[in-house]
Amino acid sequence: MKTINIASTEKSPKVLFDPKKYIFEMEGNSRPENVRDFFYPIIDTLRDFFEEISPEKKFTDNETAFNFNFKLEYFNSASAKFISDILVIIKNGNDKGLNMKVNWYFDDGDDDMKEVGEDFSEMITFPFSFIMMQR
Amino acid sequence: MINLEVIDDILLKLKNYLQEKQIELVIRKRVYTLAVECLDNIYKHADHTNHISEIISEYPPRFIIEKIYDDFQINTGNIILDINKVKINDKLENLNKLTLDDITILYKKSLTNAEISDKGGAGLGLIVMAKITTQKIKYDFQKINDKFFYFAMQLTIKK
Repeated sequence: MKTINIASTEKSPKVLFDPKKYIFEMEGNSRPENVRDFFYPIIDTLRDFFEEISPEKKFTDNETAFNFNFKLEYFNSASAKFISDILVIIKNGNDKGLNMKVNWYFDDGDDDMKEVGEDFSEMITFPFSFIMMQR
Repeated sequence: MINLEVIDDILLKLKNYLQEKQIELVIRKRVYTLAVECLDNIYKHADHTNHISEIISEYPPRFIIEKIYDDFQINTGNIILDINKVKINDKLENLNKLTLDDITILYKKSLTNAEISDKGGAGLGLIVMAKITTQKIKYDFQKINDKFFYFAMQLTIKK
């Protein structure tokens, strides 16, 4: 089972994917120098994992959802494209019966970040939980 | 000459400035977002012209942020290839005609269809700028010669 554990930098986010704990997390800033090199391996890993799971087996009991936590401070337009690709993988997984949950975090006062999350949610027609953070 | 180190340096200084001045979070992030997209655009167009030093010295890349009372104004300028002029002009002309709701619809549609170029662009930069600024984008093309134009753009962020 492939996991992801990328530390954050000033230009790229922390990315964590731990299927055993049913968690995917992306946190920080995203304007990587080579956006394709950064996101392709992440997207491939997620796609492979969620495509291989059969809906009958699922990945967990019905009580536990696979949590996707987005705690982004800033991302550029190219990163937005890849974030939307990740969200489509989540939506597809949910459509085949997997229990997926998207938690979209935003700072208190950052209405734009909340709005971006709402745009994404509408775009993939999948409800998000919106969580305001106090810093 | 503009390169990734120069861009990183400008963005770091900008981030620190906005924090020091205790600018409201939403405005701070809008200014920063626009700065990133503008600098990305300048950088992505730069490789067409880096080898033509005589033109660059006369038409250097320009990136200016001004705080005017509570508003911010960003002025950019860079050389573009003649073949890109029509494309940029059409995009901006169209964006300036749209309402904010229409821009959001266009953004969502473009995000779904976007493809990442070799230079890491998603072709979404101008749409993001129009969405963030919420104001009409001012722009101008000055002919340099048969092959190049100088593209100037002005973005405003109102409190």
